Amino acid sequence: MYRSVRALVVALLSGALVAGFLGQIPQLDILEQSARNLYFHVPMWFALMMGTVISAYHSFRYLQSGDRLRDIRAREAAWLALLFGLLGIVTGMVWARFTWYVGSGKWWNFDPKQSMAAVLLLIYGGYFVLRDSVEDPDTRGRVAAVYNLFAVVTMPFLLYILPRQLPSLHPGGEGSPAFTQTDLAPAMRWVFYPSVLGFLGLFWVLYTQRVRLSWIRKRLRREPEL
Amino acid sequence: MTLHPLSSSDAAPSLRPQQARPDTAAAYDSTWTEQSDARPPEGLERVMLPDGKIYVVLAVVLIIWIGVVTMLFRTDRRIDALERRLDQDIPEDPA
Repeated sequence: MYRSVRALVVALLSGALVAGFLGQIPQLDILEQSARNLYFHVPMWFALMMGTVISAYHSFRYLQSGDRLRDIRAREAAWLALLFGLLGIVTGMVWARFTWYVGSGKWWNFDPKQSMAAVLLLIYGGYFVLRDSVEDPDTRGRVAAVYNLFAVVTMPFLLYILPRQLPSLHPGGEGSPAFTQTDLAPAMRWVFYPSVLGFLGLFWVLYTQRVRLSWIRKRLRREPEL
Repeated sequence: MTLHPLSSSDAAPSLRPQQARPDTAAAYDSTWTEQSDARPPEGLERVMLPDGKIYVVLAVVLIIWIGVVTMLFRTDRRIDALERRLDQDIPEDPA
């Protein structure tokens, strides 16, 4: 399972890179060739969403069972979600700098979508600050799990609901862009969907690696500390 | 070789309105006619904007690549720590 996913990830991402740079895209003003960033910037956020949901699921199961492995899974998923979120926000900043804010020299102008995404990353940063501030592993697991369940509830609001209520330069503010037939050219779908799959797979591969390492580390330490 | 002066019929027609216009109108010119509408890009934009902003895509892919490499290094560090722990444990256990 793990190896086949890993092979699939390598194949999908290699294909997405090649097709992403060489494929045909519609000619658009302002965006021009930077529209190809769709294949790389957007999957970061899908990976973040998957990570937060996985993390919340394991936090929930940890509260049910008290199994330390659930806590490790929740932490690693949240950590990787934060990493992909950081990549998403930085790539978004670079993209916006040369499209929305071209000529103005601005990197950050408090666009609602960007600001809300930054708030979400701060909330998930808080998860790790909270974890590190509790000494006892059982208390830490429980407190972090409860915090994590609250954090995941804010995710759809901060990424979808609130930015759509506010005027934003970010596309996808009207309706459901993932399900419309007009927003994405058919030629781009054939690169975009494999790329999303590839990055979600990459998330899963990295997540599995980190969970395995953390689990080994926990077993090597005789004392039951994470 | 002789350079032939432009005959009057070859003169650009754009010169004519200028000649016909009274000088007092020049002060009311908007910048629109005097500047090209595209300001020459400066600094980073000169690097990023040519060839249809393809370098923005390159920058984005590089950032993601750096993120993946960061993960690789962190995993490596974790493996190192585990190896050190194993090295500590083995001398302790007489088995």
